[in-house]
Amino acid sequence: MNLEQQLKLQAFLDGELPEREAREILSWTQRDGVAAALLAELKNTRQAMAKSEPHLSLPEAREFFWSKIEREIQRREPVAAIAPEVTLFTALRRWLLPAVAVSALVIAGMIAHFNVPKTAGATVADADTPTVETTLANSDATTYRDASEGTTLVWFSVAADDSSVPSKTPAAIN
Amino acid sequence: MSGQNYSSTDDESLVKAARKGELAAFEELVFRHRDPIYARAFSMTRNEQDAVDLSQEAWIKGWQRLEQFQGDSSFTTWMTRIVINLCLDHLRKQKRHRADSIEELDEDSGGVERQMPVVTVNPTAGMERAELRVKIDAALAELSAEHRTVLVLHEFEDMEYKEIAKTIGCSIGTVMSRLFYARRKMAALLADMRKET
Repeated sequence: MNLEQQLKLQAFLDGELPEREAREILSWTQRDGVAAALLAELKNTRQAMAKSEPHLSLPEAREFFWSKIEREIQRREPVAAIAPEVTLFTALRRWLLPAVAVSALVIAGMIAHFNVPKTAGATVADADTPTVETTLANSDATTYRDASEGTTLVWFSVAADDSSVPSKTPAAIN
Repeated sequence: MSGQNYSSTDDESLVKAARKGELAAFEELVFRHRDPIYARAFSMTRNEQDAVDLSQEAWIKGWQRLEQFQGDSSFTTWMTRIVINLCLDHLRKQKRHRADSIEELDEDSGGVERQMPVVTVNPTAGMERAELRVKIDAALAELSAEHRTVLVLHEFEDMEYKEIAKTIGCSIGTVMSRLFYARRKMAALLADMRKET
């Protein structure tokens, strides 16, 4: 019997042969005593091993074994946190969001810029829009005008000799 | 860690909790399945300390890869595959450090297994299960790592030739040859043990 025949005999035992070949091997073992004996030996070994795996217990206490695993898990996890897997979504989120925010700011700035009246100075304003002026020559006085209300407020800064006196005193002029 | 008692929780729920980062749930899984995982590592390496270290590493890998567990097989089966792969890597590294034995060279040439006489009497007939386990364990220890691995994967893990070949990274022909040799050697060893008693 050659090696190929021996291996076919074993494959037959393990149910690894196609049906036609399996029938041929069965027929062969019925005719050949040596093949039948070898098949019987292989079968006995297989049966002996089935459900005879030695029962073994971990030779370490549960707490000790777990403490080693837990320590190692915690030791290795920060590495994963430092170098997380960069997915397409996270890459997009990282770069796209700031880009969108900057673009929005630029667009808002441009809209504001083109909507501002070009005729103007700071002194020309809509009648409905209150203005605040600082007198540059005397920075101690600040004026607030509201044409719609017909109100003008002027603040005079006073040197604070006395802490009980407010540093700026508003005066209403109607 | 929540400090929750998971002793009556099923494996599936424990896996879900562990995926959310509950170490206590994972500890319960380790507690439940640590023995079979260690046993598989030992059956492949035949070294107690290596088996402890490899099963520990398997649990760490298991924690790191929990997201990959689809639930197609049981959690123990999934963990067993992890420890098997770690053991195979370990055995490969060991093999690089030692010269091939004459026995392995004979296997490659297909010589030794063909010369062994057929064991005509069943050497395990009438043996108690406990005794049989001891004998099987002793006989497994006599096999080379290559033959033992194929035998363990086929007989204990119920893997088919194709699956073993894929797991080990060799041809189906090599699997068949190693399995054949391993079985024949086991039969001879068990017969010898029978004679001695």
